[in-house]
Amino acid sequence: MAAEPPEIVLRLLDAHRRYAQSATQAAALAGVSLELAAGEIYALVGRNGAGKSTLAKAAIGALALQSGTVRVLGGDPAKDRAIAGRIGVAPQEIALYGHLTVAENLDAFATLAGVRRGRGDAVAEAMAATACTPRAHARVDQLSGGWRRRANLAAAIVHRPRLLVLDEPTEGLDSQTRMALRRLIVDLKGRGTAILLISHDADDVRTLADRVGVLEAGRLIAEGSPGDLMAQAFSGRQDLVVRLSALAGAAETTLLSLGLTPTDDGLVWSGLVVDAPALASRLDQALRRLGVTAAEMSVRQPGLDALIAWACTKVADDHALGHGAAA
Amino acid sequence: MIWVILRVMALGVWRDRAGLALTFALPPLVFIVFASVFSAAASGKLDVKAGIVDQAASVESGRLTTALKPQLSGRLTAYPNRAALAQALADGRVDAGVVVSGNLDSDPTPVTVLIDPGRRAAGEVLTAEVNAVAEHALPDVMMAREIGRLGPLLRLTRHQTDRLGRQPAPTPTTPFVTQQILSGGDPMVIYYAGAVSILFLMFTAMQGAMNLIDERRAGLRLRLGLSAGGVAPLILGRMLWLTALGVAQALVLFIVAVILYRIPLIESLAPWTVTAIAAAAASGGIALALAAACPTREQAQTLSTFVVLILAAVGGSMAPRFLMPAPLQALGWLTPHAWVIQAYQTLLWRRIIDAQVLEAWAVLAAFAAAGFAIAWSLESRRRL
Repeated sequence: MAAEPPEIVLRLLDAHRRYAQSATQAAALAGVSLELAAGEIYALVGRNGAGKSTLAKAAIGALALQSGTVRVLGGDPAKDRAIAGRIGVAPQEIALYGHLTVAENLDAFATLAGVRRGRGDAVAEAMAATACTPRAHARVDQLSGGWRRRANLAAAIVHRPRLLVLDEPTEGLDSQTRMALRRLIVDLKGRGTAILLISHDADDVRTLADRVGVLEAGRLIAEGSPGDLMAQAFSGRQDLVVRLSALAGAAETTLLSLGLTPTDDGLVWSGLVVDAPALASRLDQALRRLGVTAAEMSVRQPGLDALIAWACTKVADDHALGHGAAA
Repeated sequence: MIWVILRVMALGVWRDRAGLALTFALPPLVFIVFASVFSAAASGKLDVKAGIVDQAASVESGRLTTALKPQLSGRLTAYPNRAALAQALADGRVDAGVVVSGNLDSDPTPVTVLIDPGRRAAGEVLTAEVNAVAEHALPDVMMAREIGRLGPLLRLTRHQTDRLGRQPAPTPTTPFVTQQILSGGDPMVIYYAGAVSILFLMFTAMQGAMNLIDERRAGLRLRLGLSAGGVAPLILGRMLWLTALGVAQALVLFIVAVILYRIPLIESLAPWTVTAIAAAAASGGIALALAAACPTREQAQTLSTFVVLILAAVGGSMAPRFLMPAPLQALGWLTPHAWVIQAYQTLLWRRIIDAQVLEAWAVLAAFAAAGFAIAWSLESRRRL
């Protein structure tokens, strides 16, 4: 017997939105369609001003579309209060009352979301899930950034939403807290929560997302699983970064011939290369022969900026060839 | 949901102890200052600082100077000449001055009152004081003046005139008496209790309503927008809180007025409560509407300061309305201030609930309802 397909929690169809004050500029949303299923994490990436926040606000009904539809669990979140109550949101800002304690904040938001019975349990559960319990009775404005971000997430999940919108949930956190929050997000996904994740963090996207959508000028220009998109974009190429100990004109030709480009003050060179570890070894030998020392040489997975740049270039190329936008 | 917002706002005020102290301490302090100034002004008991020059140096002028001193409670300073007195007046060391330059019993204008145009009222008060002192402390001199003035008209002989002058001076009389028609408390104290309470209600409500904007800025509004009850409970909760806070603030101010000035609050507690609720709700409504209309806190701060001060000036919170020109008095009825002041004065001074009071309550309720409706409408339409 075939497994039932997961329920579609969020469905955006041909969403258009243009801000009044930017009539001459590109639309904030220009025909975006996407679906997000229960238990799925969809990462939305894009440059600043690409329309990510607008899309997130449209998805929760906080922003009216000029055309197109948004449905959450089959209903319109802007009109149906019961549907709105099934959505949780953790904005990039700490959306909590600073003068209240963590527990008081969660209790208030649970009540506002319509949690009547078992509110105490819901609060305790949200605090336990985000490891906020030790700071339950501390005022939010007296907490450190990491604790505030945990509490921000706790307030988003205290009413056990079906759709969760997370805007840069791990921004500014130390690695330990970052890992803890990632585990929590994975746990929420496991419980069937559909998660729309807005992030600039490549590691967040790579480790958490089932699908990634690249948004540019209000259009979804690329979409797929992180692995597929990365493979498509970089074909096994990795980011090779070389930091020279001193400026060396003699090495420039060698570095340029390998496809590396200088950044900053000319000491750091980087570029996407095939078989980066082997190339790094050959480059190191070549630099030694020239009497140049590399202070640091590293191989990294390409970041989101590279992915976004690739997607933009691809769309421009497709457009030039008359193929239309990828999305 | 309304109670959640009420609780959030109440805890915000409670946990900001400095803000809490200012909320409740400032209005009574300002009230005391205003009440002292305007109560004295309205009753004619201005503490005028005066200067005197006795150029006549006669027995009568000496008696006048001596009698004026206790009347002005030691605020009378003697100067050697007119120029020194004029300089003291110009420097602001005295509010008005008296120059006695001729015979009090015979010269047509033996006394000159020097005034500063900026303090004309002080000159009038001093003139009245000099007249009163002359009537009561120098009756013989005043009688001599009258005999000197009337003698020729009545064709009195010199002998008759001298004989009249030797008679004991009769008690001075005036053809009119002043009679107070109402009693119990000082009407200007009650006026300013109402005037200052509505002034501070507006300030407090504006500050409280600003958190609508703070919530937008902090992303809280995005989260609150998903609440099960929608926008109405969020606005209503704030409205109720601002009303409750306003009533508490007014109560503290009026208790101070009871203690210091013995205004009859207890006797009119029920209608006072209705007025306080209506006034606080009107302030809350106006403040919420303004906060909802402003996209940024900076805009709201500027606009609210402007609105609060203009309403207070036109509505009679700063200077008594009866001192204003008629068009400004008429304009005042467009502010909640004028209605609040009228309601409190009618209740606590005249001690009646008449059509004026009912009308004031209705107008204040209308301000509250309109403010709430505007705030609700703007916030419902707001897309973040």
